[in-house]
Amino acid sequence: MRDPVTTVRPDPASPDSPALKADRADDAFNVLIVGVGGQGVIMVSKVLALLAQSQGFEVKQSEVHGMAKRGGSVFSHVRFGKRVWSPTIPKGDVDILVALEWAEGLRWLPFLKAGTGIFICDTKRIVPPFACLNRRPGAPLRYSKETPTEVVTHVGEAYAIDATDMAEKLGNERAANVVLLGALSTALEFSTTDWERTVAEFVPKKTVAVNLEAFRRGRGWIEEARNTTPAVEAPVTRTPTPADAAYRVRLEINPVWCKSCDICVKMCPEHCLRLNADRIAELAEPERCTGCRLCEWLCPDFAIRVHLDSAGAVAQQGLAQ
Amino acid sequence: MLIDTAADFDVRDYLRKEMMPHFLCPGCGHGIALRALLWAIHDLGLDKDRLAVVSGIGCAGRLSAYIDANTFHVTHGRPLAYATGLALARPDLHVVVITGDGDCLAIGGNHLIHACRRNLKLTCLMLNNEVYGMTGGQVSPTTSETRLTTTTPLGNQEPHFDACALATAAGAGFVGREVTHHVPKLKELIKAGLEHPGFAFVEVQSDCTEIFGRKNDMGSSSEMIMRQKSEIRPSAYLDTVDTPFRSNALPTGILARNDRPEYGATYRRAAAARKGAS
Repeated sequence: MRDPVTTVRPDPASPDSPALKADRADDAFNVLIVGVGGQGVIMVSKVLALLAQSQGFEVKQSEVHGMAKRGGSVFSHVRFGKRVWSPTIPKGDVDILVALEWAEGLRWLPFLKAGTGIFICDTKRIVPPFACLNRRPGAPLRYSKETPTEVVTHVGEAYAIDATDMAEKLGNERAANVVLLGALSTALEFSTTDWERTVAEFVPKKTVAVNLEAFRRGRGWIEEARNTTPAVEAPVTRTPTPADAAYRVRLEINPVWCKSCDICVKMCPEHCLRLNADRIAELAEPERCTGCRLCEWLCPDFAIRVHLDSAGAVAQQGLAQ
Repeated sequence: MLIDTAADFDVRDYLRKEMMPHFLCPGCGHGIALRALLWAIHDLGLDKDRLAVVSGIGCAGRLSAYIDANTFHVTHGRPLAYATGLALARPDLHVVVITGDGDCLAIGGNHLIHACRRNLKLTCLMLNNEVYGMTGGQVSPTTSETRLTTTTPLGNQEPHFDACALATAAGAGFVGREVTHHVPKLKELIKAGLEHPGFAFVEVQSDCTEIFGRKNDMGSSSEMIMRQKSEIRPSAYLDTVDTPFRSNALPTGILARNDRPEYGATYRRAAAARKGAS
C-alpha cells in the first residue's frame, strides 16, 4: 500500500544551507542513503560518490549489502569534502538522508542532523514478511503507522515523494531511485549537466532516456514543492481492520472421506488444524486460518474444501440467521 | 498466477462421488497427483465427455475409476498401447494415461519407449512412488539405491531408472517432473503437458507412506512430503541424457521439449494421400 499524496515542508535555501557547506568547511558533507535490497541504494550512492570525486572532493563511501540483497535493509554512507577521515557517518551527523522506502527512512531518522538535516523519502511501503505475522486477511500490519505529515513536522526540511509512482508513470518502476537522486541533486551545489552526465554513464545504455527523465522529474518535483509554500496535507493512513477484509475463510471438511493421515495438520503454516477425538481433521483455531488452501491441495482424500466467502455474502448470512 | 483458478475449482465436480472415499492408504501421494490432474483439466476447460483416461494396474492404475470422464482400466503395463489405439481412432479426444512406476517402466517399459518414439498426442502421467504398493511392496525400477522393500531385504543394490531421461532419450515431445508437494506447480506442468501437441510424459514424485515409507523409516506422510522439498532441484532445463542416473537432487520442471511431427497427424495425412491415389 502506498500513500499517494506527498507532503512538503519547504525551507528557503539560505547561506547556512548544508548544501554550501561542503565547499567551505573542513568537515565532510554527509549523505546517508537507505532502502530495501533491490531498490538501487548502492547505485544512488555510487553516482553521488563518482560525481563528488569528479568535482575534486575526497570521497569515502561505505555500505552494507550482502545478505540484504533482496528484501533486506540496505544503507550506504557517502562522505565528501576537502578531507574525509572516517568512512562512516556518526549518529546525528547526516546532512541529507535519502530513503527509498518509507519505514527504512524512519528507521534512520535519528541519524539526521537536528535542525538542519534534510530528509528526502519515498512514500513507497515495502512491508517485510515479519510485519505480517498475522496473515489473516485485513489483519493489521506491524508497519510504521506514522503518516508523512506527522513525520515531516518533526524534521526541519522534509520531502515525502511518491517516487515509485512517478517512475511507474515513466514506464519503469525501477527508476524510482533516480527520481530520488534528482530530488537529492537540488540540495547539492553540483551542476545539472554534471549530474546528468554521471547518471547517463552509470545506468545501462537502454535505460539512459528513462533515467534522465526520472532525474528531471525528481528535480522538478522538489523545485515545485519549494515554491508551493502551504504544505499539502496527506490523508491519514487508516490501519485496516478485519472488517475491511474482502473475504472470510470457511473450511468444509468431509469426515467420511478423511483418513486421518495428518498431512493437513502438519503442513498448515498457521497450525490451526488438528485431529479430533475420532481422528478426523477439524479447524481448531478458525481465527488463525488465512485461507491459503494448502490443506485443500495436499489432502489426498479430497476431504477439505476452502471457501473464501466474500464480505457481502457473510453479511447476508448474518441477516438470514 | 498459479493459483488464479483455485477458488472456482472444486475437485468433487470431477469425481465419481459414489466411488469415494477412494481405496488409497491414508497419506498416499497419488490423491494429490489426481487433484493436480483434475485441476489442470479444469483450467483448460476440457469437456469431461471429450476426456478419456486410460490406466493400467497398480495403485496409480486405480485412479481412473474415480474420475468422472470416459475411463479405461486396462491390462498391466499396457495403458499406453490401449491409449495409442484410442488416440489414433478418436483424435477428437484428449487421452490421458495414468500409470505407476512399475506399470510404466517394468511391465510396460517397451510400450513407453515406443510411445515416446512415435510422438502421438497423448499425456502420460507416471506416478512414481518407488515401489509396487498394491502387491505388497516389491522393488520397482525406480526404487532408490539401498532402500528396503519386501524383495530387497538387504537394501536395493540395483541402480534405479530415471524415467524422464528414458523418455527424453526415446524422443518424447514433452518431458517434465514435479513433486506432489508443489500442487500448483504440478498442475501447471500437467497443463503444459496436456497442451503439448505431441507425446507428453510427466513424472510425478509421489509417496507410498504405508508400504515404502514405513519399511524405510521415512516417518509420517507429512514428513515424506517435506522430504521431497529437500530433494528437488528445480531447473528449466537439465540434460537428463548426459546424467541419466540422478544424484540425491531431483531436477523438476520441464526437462525436455521438442517439436517433432505428431504421429497421428502424419498417419492421417499418409492415409488420406493413399486414399486419394487409389
